[in-house]
Amino acid sequence: MPTTTFKIFRFQPDAPRPEPYYQDFVLEHEPQMTLLDAILDLQNEQDGSLAIRYSCRSSICGSCACMADGRTVLACMQQVEELKARTGDDVVQVDPMGNFAPIKDLVVDLDPFWEKFRSVKPFLIPDGPAPEKERIVPTEAMQRLYKESRCILCAACYSECNSLAADPEFVGPAAFAWGYRFAADIRDGERKERAKLYSGKHGIWDCTRCMYCNERCPKGVDPRDAIEKLGGVAFQEGVQHDKGARHAKAFLISMRTGGKLNETLLVPFTDPIGAPLDAPFALKMLRKGKAPSPLPHKIKQHDEVKRLIKNVKETI
Amino acid sequence: MAVTTFAYYPGCVAEFSSKELDATTKALAPMLDIELVPMPAATCCGAGDIAEAKPNLYLTLNVRILSQAEEMGHDILTICNVCTMNLRRANKLVKEDPRLLEQVNEELVKAGARPYEGTKEVTHLLWYISTEEGLSLLESRGPRGLSGLRVAPYYGCQLLRPSSVLGFEDPDRPQSLERLIRALGGEVADYEAKSKCCGFPIILARQEVALKESHVALSQARDAGADCMVTPCPLCHLAMDAYQRKAEVLNGTEYNLPVLHLPQLLGLALGLSTDVMQFKRHMVPVDRVLETVGA
Repeated sequence: MPTTTFKIFRFQPDAPRPEPYYQDFVLEHEPQMTLLDAILDLQNEQDGSLAIRYSCRSSICGSCACMADGRTVLACMQQVEELKARTGDDVVQVDPMGNFAPIKDLVVDLDPFWEKFRSVKPFLIPDGPAPEKERIVPTEAMQRLYKESRCILCAACYSECNSLAADPEFVGPAAFAWGYRFAADIRDGERKERAKLYSGKHGIWDCTRCMYCNERCPKGVDPRDAIEKLGGVAFQEGVQHDKGARHAKAFLISMRTGGKLNETLLVPFTDPIGAPLDAPFALKMLRKGKAPSPLPHKIKQHDEVKRLIKNVKETI
Repeated sequence: MAVTTFAYYPGCVAEFSSKELDATTKALAPMLDIELVPMPAATCCGAGDIAEAKPNLYLTLNVRILSQAEEMGHDILTICNVCTMNLRRANKLVKEDPRLLEQVNEELVKAGARPYEGTKEVTHLLWYISTEEGLSLLESRGPRGLSGLRVAPYYGCQLLRPSSVLGFEDPDRPQSLERLIRALGGEVADYEAKSKCCGFPIILARQEVALKESHVALSQARDAGADCMVTPCPLCHLAMDAYQRKAEVLNGTEYNLPVLHLPQLLGLALGLSTDVMQFKRHMVPVDRVLETVGA
């Protein structure tokens, strides 16, 4: 049987040693043992005070997310030997999720996560009163939101979101996956209201596209893709006031007028109020040759592109 | 090694605001046995922005680019993380879903463009040159080296994640830049945030958030004793170089860290003329780096 050293983040604010520290535990275990079972074993056999939040032990309740060697995982879904093979090291470091305040050992304060989840109205808001019988939804319509429906709210995406690390008020990936799940539901009557709600100050345009959420999601939800699709919903609903939406619009204008990005147009178009105030910076960029011609950059066969812009229909 | 021919897709930023990257790549290519064939009818990849506004249009435009490479008979070589991710993502989507490819091709044909058969790949210069074959090619060029220059590798996001689209190396333990730096006679200044986000996609719409993001990597690289940072992405370069002073002001600190484009680091080690690499276009002066390597 393999032996593993677990280097576990300890934090017990009510204990005689209230500051955080790492504690090493050594465990001999079955080769297939999961990280959660290993931690529960340590809790039973070595230190009853070791705290972790868990419930189903089968990757569906989403309670036991924590960091293993710097990656957020569901502890119950991750085999210890796989972790060791990844790093080539017999020591596995276990930390609480990032972007959360720890409460005790691996247990974090999820309140901000739930608050933001609630803020996106993660439920169906039907248009008009309920029909006498059920609302029939064609399979294709449900397939559009199939991926997002798989979210189990484990917060693995939230744990490593780079936007959240820089702006703790960002609504975050999981909540927006749910937002898209309902914005794209043909039974929902508040698509436009949702587009407005999600386009606020710490909303979809805050996403920095670091792609950690897509990388970490244990259920293949791809929250970044959902945020991207919510951008598409905002465009369809004509909700384009945010600087982020204007940034995207400037790309569309570049595409229509020349085919390549017009960077010099992008700046004032995105931020017509702020950009002129930043003239000294613009001047510095100009001096370094970093402000190219503001005229469209025309590609060959641009007519094809113009026709595509005219023809291609969005199905979001 | 025989000469490899690529359809060259530098991306908009390298072609316009960061011309030094395009110029250096073109000058470097023959030294790396690469022939670069231009793609005069290729559009912008949309950088994630077109995808955010009009997802189907994003897909169609990117498949149009892939189809042009197919017509030329070459795989695509990129020098930008964002172009790489967007082109590869489109490629993956249509290769895995013949029905989707059919729909996209219908649109392309209707617009007078060539349909795509799904036969081409998209590779970043870093991937090409950091394989064992690439490294031995570098060695055979007798690099004059980097004189122990301490270089902080900075990967950024979209050359690593999502790994289902990129997949060249472990996104949490990337080593390609490290291998290159060492092979060229430099020292690696290691730090944790080398694959965190530079914030560039939101630097115009959410400047404060973006500058707090770039601060993480810039401050860690500085604290690791780096003489400079190197990045495979011109968008990361803009965030780390052009916006570095702004990040210093916002975060109340100094980094004073020159930032090199990947081909510039290769160029320095292989003795490419500094005039060609146009360091004068950088916002943070690179004089210190040039002195160390004796360029």
